[in-house]
Amino acid sequence: MVSLLLIVTASLFFTGIIIRTKSILSGRKGPGIFQPMKDIWRLFRKGSVFSETSSVIFQIAPSIYFASVLMAIFLIPFGNMPGIISFKGDIIFFAYILALGKFFNIISALDTGSSFSGMGASREALYSLLVEPAFFILMGSSALLTGHTSFHEIFSSLHFGSHISYAVGTLAALVLIIIALVENSRMPVDDPKTHLELTMVHEVMILDNSGFDLGLIHYATNLKFAMYGALIANFFLTPGYELYYSIPIFIGVQILFAMVVGFVESFMARFRMNHNPQFIIMLTSISLLIFLGVLLILGKFV
Amino acid sequence: MSVDVVVWCVLIASGLSVFIIPFLSPQLKSSAAFILVLLIAILSLVLALPALRGSPVEHVFYGSSAFGNIPVRIDALSAWFILIVNFTCVNGALYGIGYMKPYENKKGNSTLHWILFVWFQVSMLAVCVVQNSLVFLIAWELMSISSLLLVIFEHYKPETLKAGVNYLVQMHIGVVMLSIAFIWVYISQHSLDFEGIKASFNHQNSAWLFLLFFVGFAIKAGFIPFHTWLPLAHPAAPSHISGVMSGVIVKMGIYGILRMVSYLNSELILIGIFVLILSMTTAFYGILNAAVVRDFKRMLAFCTIENIGIIGMGIGMGMIGKGTGNTYLMLVGYTGALLHTLNHSLYKSLLFYTAGNIYQQTHTRNMEHLGGLIKKMPASALFFLCGALAIGGLPPFSGFISEFIIYSGLIEGLKSDNIQYSSLMMLCLSGLAIVGGVSMITFTKAFGTIFLGSARTKLNETPKEVSVVMQIPLYLILLTTVLIGIFPNLVYAPALSVATAMSGIPSFSGNILSMSPVLAIIGRVSLLMIVLSAIVYFIRTGISSAKPAVYLPTWACGYSSINTRMQYTAKSYSKSFAKLFSFIVSEKKKYIEIGNSKIFPLNIPRTFTSNYEEFFEKNFIAGINKRILAFMNYFMFIHNGRLQMYILYGFFFIVILIIATLFNLL
Repeated sequence: MVSLLLIVTASLFFTGIIIRTKSILSGRKGPGIFQPMKDIWRLFRKGSVFSETSSVIFQIAPSIYFASVLMAIFLIPFGNMPGIISFKGDIIFFAYILALGKFFNIISALDTGSSFSGMGASREALYSLLVEPAFFILMGSSALLTGHTSFHEIFSSLHFGSHISYAVGTLAALVLIIIALVENSRMPVDDPKTHLELTMVHEVMILDNSGFDLGLIHYATNLKFAMYGALIANFFLTPGYELYYSIPIFIGVQILFAMVVGFVESFMARFRMNHNPQFIIMLTSISLLIFLGVLLILGKFV
Repeated sequence: MSVDVVVWCVLIASGLSVFIIPFLSPQLKSSAAFILVLLIAILSLVLALPALRGSPVEHVFYGSSAFGNIPVRIDALSAWFILIVNFTCVNGALYGIGYMKPYENKKGNSTLHWILFVWFQVSMLAVCVVQNSLVFLIAWELMSISSLLLVIFEHYKPETLKAGVNYLVQMHIGVVMLSIAFIWVYISQHSLDFEGIKASFNHQNSAWLFLLFFVGFAIKAGFIPFHTWLPLAHPAAPSHISGVMSGVIVKMGIYGILRMVSYLNSELILIGIFVLILSMTTAFYGILNAAVVRDFKRMLAFCTIENIGIIGMGIGMGMIGKGTGNTYLMLVGYTGALLHTLNHSLYKSLLFYTAGNIYQQTHTRNMEHLGGLIKKMPASALFFLCGALAIGGLPPFSGFISEFIIYSGLIEGLKSDNIQYSSLMMLCLSGLAIVGGVSMITFTKAFGTIFLGSARTKLNETPKEVSVVMQIPLYLILLTTVLIGIFPNLVYAPALSVATAMSGIPSFSGNILSMSPVLAIIGRVSLLMIVLSAIVYFIRTGISSAKPAVYLPTWACGYSSINTRMQYTAKSYSKSFAKLFSFIVSEKKKYIEIGNSKIFPLNIPRTFTSNYEEFFEKNFIAGINKRILAFMNYFMFIHNGRLQMYILYGFFFIVILIIATLFNLL
């Protein structure tokens, strides 16, 4: 329950911090950190425009997408407190429930019959496919290290001991940050602020969404960011800490994560489309390094 | 009822089909076949259900001196497959009633078709229960032949006939392998009983014998590189047949492999690793091809290959578990494989039947010609969507349950002390994750192209929703899939007991596989997911209904005269993916290059075609075929078409026989 509340709280200001960081770095004052939420709130109260081509899929998809992100958040623990739902093997469920949301997101893009949406859908499907092995190797390695297969048990029995474990922890945080960037369609894979439909990935998929649906999708993106932030934060929430330590750590990690995203977006250009797969496949090799590290920690190399 | 009564009843029922179906009016043939199929299903369930609960039954029939004793044993493994065969066949027959309506005027054809359908079911049941190698081979052969004749229902089309011949030849390569293996067992054990196989696995080169059996069954199951018949035969067959073929006939190969695995006691680790790696490659290769093809039935056939790979991964894991003494891994592997077999038979038949709906209404299998069908055929769209979600292993459908179990097994296998197994399991884990991702591309592409957007070409007839008779079996399967997804323990407990019985270890210490509480939670969580989506949707509708929605054309970046040809096509959707894996799925383009001098090319109608080539077909099978044909050319003089020569051959043969008898050679 704590984790849900904290993630929702973090989601309120996460994108705001990214935008603020980018503004400051480019020498502007920038909007307040709650501006994205205000935009979403405005969208919630607006009427909708639907494409004539679209069908019922287009109507239900945003709700299912949002629900899937919520379900995934239910699984995230907070330190040694389990999430709302926790069971053996929930790391697999986590990946598949997010995939369900993505499935609906993609077919809702195809529902408009626009060639641009199709382009975005194709790219989104490809990138999320390429991210998948990295996530599973990461989770498999943590399962191997701790001997557990649920987020709660993994994080509550994770502890740093040797030098290698620090290296592994850093790499894991790096992998999670890049996964979050890819899954939320940020730089350097996708530019959320681009105005050319041909080069968009995620934004072009939701080109025809409007009103409440668009608000849902935007808010789901914020939630997803905060969710990955929470996963990263969990690596640093060593069990045994009291709430008055761990909550500031959590918030601190979220803010730091948002600032990192802002930094990356300020100083990096987006990759060329055909370089994206290479970049994402690189993630898999980093997670293989984590696997090797875990094997070293466990002393399996003789 | 005792075994012999049921067996005779089933045989009589299948015999009756020959005497009843030809004399009925065209409209009633299919219904009669359905009733017979249902009857046989109920009869065989009478035996299967107790066996599934843990009391195997056995009856030994006395054949002739050639066959020896014919034991009919129904243990848990047979019962599990009997259940799957019956469910799919009953649905297939029911669906066939509606699907075959347009073909009713072809009287002789449909008579043969429906008689064979009944025989087909009976032969599959026989394969599951008969444990005498000679009779098993006969049943196996009957199954292949009857399915062949069912596949080539539209035999006047050359490509159908070609697919049929291909199927026939490949099945017989499989039969040769099986026969050699059975003869090997017979020579070493002097027994046709399957118990002999167990004995010969115990004291000789079990790996080679197993390999023979494996290849024989793998041709049926569709492991690479023995899969090439699948993508040809499935599109060629009528849809209710492809559903049954993909749903259960390839599973007979899996049954055979599982049966042999249950007899195997040595060299388990080596064979297990082999099966695991082969299966992972199969899964990946299958889905890779499925993602790029345009013909939606061919896509489903490739997707079957993928799922066979996933089932095989479970089997391989189970064998490694048994070999290393990790009982948990063994049970998880076998249970996962069995459950995936069941689940795949459900949603694959659902998808094939839905593909039948589409084909019946549009008369095309090319998804690039379709689009926007969700408005014309909403029920079919629902079936296809749910089938697509289930086959991608997404919750709340049944596919997730078996994939979850296989994932759990892989993670369990990671913890092995041996680094070799850990790395292997990690490889399979990421492989399975990629397969899941590609499967998402495949099915978003198929669903999006066929059902969403607007129609890409003008069809001759406006498609409309199919008749209710054709929808009933689909609703039934859909309901079962969702039920399994929400109450996984309904099927998990039986599957576990089958796996336990199969492992050959009589009892386990304590509750070794405590997965059913986890599965119960998953079921509830999946239900929660449905409820949550409904709540969000309800809130959304409630709030946004205050403002009237406006319907306008799709945003086309300011371009105002868009047409439906400008939609994203299936090919372009998967293009960026296919480019990444172009070393396996190579694209073949056909066009005439425009030369330097032809800046304004006139008067030549220019065409551009491109399709993806299948790796094995192109690099291995085609080459081998060419060499065999070239070699066979040397024997053309024998096959010269002159009747006199053929009679002479017969005469020579008789002379040789007489001489051989004279010298006591025979």
